[in-house]
Amino acid sequence: MSRRDVIVIGGGHNGLVTAGLLARRGLDVVVVERRERTGGISELLPTAGRLRRSVIDALKLRSHGLELIRPEIRMLALRDDGDPIAFWSDAERTAAALEQVDPLDAGAYVAYDRHVRALSGFLARMNRTTPARLDKATPRDVVEGLKLGKAYRGLGARTARELTRALPMAAADFVREWFRDDAICGALAARGTLMTELGPWSAGSALVLLNDMAEGDGGAAGETALVRGGPQALSDALAAAARAAGAEVRTGTAVEQLIVEEGRITGITLAGGERIDALAVASSLDPKTTLRTLLDPVAAGPRTRWRAANIRTRGHAAVVELELSGTPAFRGADDPAMLAGRIVVSRGIDDVERAFDASKYGETSERPQIEAVLEDETRLRAIVQWVARDAAEDAVADLAIGELERFAPGLRELVTGRRVLTPAGLEAEYGMSGGHLLHAEPGLDQFFAWRPVLGMARYRLSMRGLYLCGSGAHPGGGITGGPGENAAREIARDLERGR
Amino acid sequence: MSTERRYDAIIIGGGHNGLVTAAYLARAGMRVVVLERREVLGGAAVTEEIVPGFRFSVASYVVSLLRPEIIRDLDLGRHGLQILPLDGTFTPLDGDYLWRVNDHGTTFRELRRWSLSDAEAYEEYGRLMVHMARFIKPILSVVPPDQGRIHPAEWISLGPLARSFAELPRRLRDTFIQVMTMSAADFLDQWFETDPLKATMSASGIIGTFQGVRSPGTAYVLLHHYMGEIDGAFRAWGIPKGGTGGVSLAIASAAQSLGAEIRTEAPVARIDTADGRVVGVTLESGEELLADAVLSSADSRVTFERLLEPGVLDDEFLTDVRRYKFRGSSAKVNLALSGLPEFSCLPGTGEHLRGAISFSPSVDYMERAYDDAKYGRPSRRPYIDMIIPTLVDPDMAPPGQHTMSCFVQYAPYHLADGAEWDDAARDALGETVLDTIEERAPGIRELIIGKQVLTPLDIERRIGLSEGNIFQGELSLEQLFFNRPVPGFARFRTPVDGLWMCGSAAHPGGGLMGAPGRIAALELLGERKRGRWRS
Repeated sequence: MSRRDVIVIGGGHNGLVTAGLLARRGLDVVVVERRERTGGISELLPTAGRLRRSVIDALKLRSHGLELIRPEIRMLALRDDGDPIAFWSDAERTAAALEQVDPLDAGAYVAYDRHVRALSGFLARMNRTTPARLDKATPRDVVEGLKLGKAYRGLGARTARELTRALPMAAADFVREWFRDDAICGALAARGTLMTELGPWSAGSALVLLNDMAEGDGGAAGETALVRGGPQALSDALAAAARAAGAEVRTGTAVEQLIVEEGRITGITLAGGERIDALAVASSLDPKTTLRTLLDPVAAGPRTRWRAANIRTRGHAAVVELELSGTPAFRGADDPAMLAGRIVVSRGIDDVERAFDASKYGETSERPQIEAVLEDETRLRAIVQWVARDAAEDAVADLAIGELERFAPGLRELVTGRRVLTPAGLEAEYGMSGGHLLHAEPGLDQFFAWRPVLGMARYRLSMRGLYLCGSGAHPGGGITGGPGENAAREIARDLERGR
Repeated sequence: MSTERRYDAIIIGGGHNGLVTAAYLARAGMRVVVLERREVLGGAAVTEEIVPGFRFSVASYVVSLLRPEIIRDLDLGRHGLQILPLDGTFTPLDGDYLWRVNDHGTTFRELRRWSLSDAEAYEEYGRLMVHMARFIKPILSVVPPDQGRIHPAEWISLGPLARSFAELPRRLRDTFIQVMTMSAADFLDQWFETDPLKATMSASGIIGTFQGVRSPGTAYVLLHHYMGEIDGAFRAWGIPKGGTGGVSLAIASAAQSLGAEIRTEAPVARIDTADGRVVGVTLESGEELLADAVLSSADSRVTFERLLEPGVLDDEFLTDVRRYKFRGSSAKVNLALSGLPEFSCLPGTGEHLRGAISFSPSVDYMERAYDDAKYGRPSRRPYIDMIIPTLVDPDMAPPGQHTMSCFVQYAPYHLADGAEWDDAARDALGETVLDTIEERAPGIRELIIGKQVLTPLDIERRIGLSEGNIFQGELSLEQLFFNRPVPGFARFRTPVDGLWMCGSAAHPGGGLMGAPGRIAALELLGERKRGRWRS
């Protein structure tokens, strides 16, 4: 038996962020990861543009080998009829590119970019805070609330009203208030549905869209960054940073159960029977697995188990990786710079919605929505949605290839290797409940002070000593390090106060 | 210029909200006139004889949320208001049915036939929702602040709400958040497994909206069902004697007895302003009426875009008005029948026909109905909420004969591929509805003596609701509370001094509730009392 300050369960990117930040504060931290390598699903996600700068700086990730490539063209929207549209990091340049598609939309783009930056800037501010207790605000909640209130006021009356109106909107409605060309609308709105159970016409997809812009430079085109060396390089850098700070990172180590003593979590037992005691245990697994699988049912109690069971975690996105023998030629994208960012199959809003419809009936879209990146020009990594939980892997790959081939003729012949993870495959390999890439749906009902559920949004779960530091916590999924960073702050605070 | 007449306040529109406003203002001693475009009062709460001898609640057809304080304040009972209870919901299925009634024991036994755990959860769920409704009810009477500025006087009214939220038991706080944000289907999934039960319950979440039962934000309408229950005036749902027009006529009678003047066939052409404030209205006849206050119970599009002269409102405000979503999604089919229909799953004409009859066999059925509408087509198999009013109010038809009201969803106002709501489209919709009914109640067509099909376009033209939206604007989350009917202008006031909103377009929205009309009147009276009133 050993004794540590903090155990972090799960060596995904958020777990490593929490571990690194706590170790830097001088705490004795151990990370236990079931798989043989760290990183969790971050090794699957195509882009890391939303990784927080504060995390990069605090953990000195650059000195541990992290290099982010930020392409000038952040998103290339492939169109059925016409050349692809380039969305540049520079809004003026995008506006110029839109001229050939629709002059009116081109004229609206810069103002839209400014508008979404104002709205998402406020969300970024919210994403840094620990959600307040809604029943009984603590003095710190009041201070935070006043600060947030000041930021809200700073938006000005019109933008403030717009914020409250925009968040619960459907992304389709939100985007259509600015643009009329269907392909432009589809490309912009689809990001409000990425990896979710929402279609562009679903209420709350505007929130997801705005939140996507809330980290990094954001803006209408969305921040895009690729990790040099592939996504694994990010988790390597994070693990190196955690170790350099003094944390121990143990891979190939599965957790059996949380130890509950006198109403609080005091440690964990590992699959081999080994026991580790700690003052705090932070789980970067999804909240459902944490509360229902790791926590003893009696200790959890029926109410917590019922609430945990109802956390919405139905995954509908598949990850498709293709090894290619050469660089695919996308129609109208002769310049390699055009393929340096996210490549999005951009159909009209209704087509995206139709793809989403399949998910409601547990089916796979006939024409799925695809967001892809090309790494080293010969590896294509795509999020494909919406995919039935146990869809046949080959069928999903064929669907994705078929869809992309419409824009890149001859792609199929280039494919030398393929890897497909359906929601069921993701759950089996990475352990997230439902195979949801964001751990829990990012809908309005699992947001901010009620993510994953009301009363557990402050990184403290239902039992003293147990914390949540993964994507299931505020501010949610994707590669941001946000939950990991916020949770580390709260854990450190509790430990300093001797809780 | 013809004759000129002066009032303290002019109310545009003689729907139930306009009439409520008029009654409250008249009660305070104001000289008011209600101007109704049509020859009948009631707006969407109207009773008309569509087929000789058969009287129908043409549009709005049930009542559950009519504010009890309005019934009390205006003494509507004395003015003829009588609510007849509508007991139960019957969901016909293939070879089976689901039948819930107000009696808990009977419903428990029925649900147990489907699922023991659902039967048990139903009790717990019902208790929870009643608590929830009790908490939410005060919101219906609050004047929302302008969220664009932190103005203490406006926000103070939310204080008690925030306090009562903090004092709620933990699980109710939880439920409150869920009810405000989840889809009806997801919300119900937490308790129930029986598909037709979930489908039928979730249906109340989508009535009048352009959303599906799986669309986030549809859960909160589930509460409405329970709000009627807690008020104690009558249980859950009922139908007014004489149809929903009976409610309007009772309110009109109350208003008149309090001194209000009510004019029908008096369509307003224009709201007159001078120097940014209201001075009166001009009727289509050219007649001019003067008043320092004009309260519009028409929707925001009609009020701000049609009745106000261009140039009165600034562009920013008009942009917000134009962005406001209507998207009518419902149709109404009214049938005059020579006899009662028989359902093949439960033959006979028993008690099950006396309540609501819901065509909602499964959640997927409901959702597919929505999918059709999303892409601009009427549902191939629509959700139908059917009632047979003559079973509780036999006077509505000749002896032995019946009226049947079918609320139909979805019928989108905007049709795909440039199609329009012409006679052929209306006929096709009527046939789809009859086909759907025929599948479960064979022979319905032989009973039909007369028929009326109202498409969203018909509702727009006949009743004056933009895009046929029965709530005067979609009840989606972003169009509620401080965004209703225009973000920042939810306080019943408008940018034009002296022009007020008092219809379903305003907070807390549509339904035969009367709340917007009442709060608008009370706000105006409050302002008058505080001396901000010119006259």
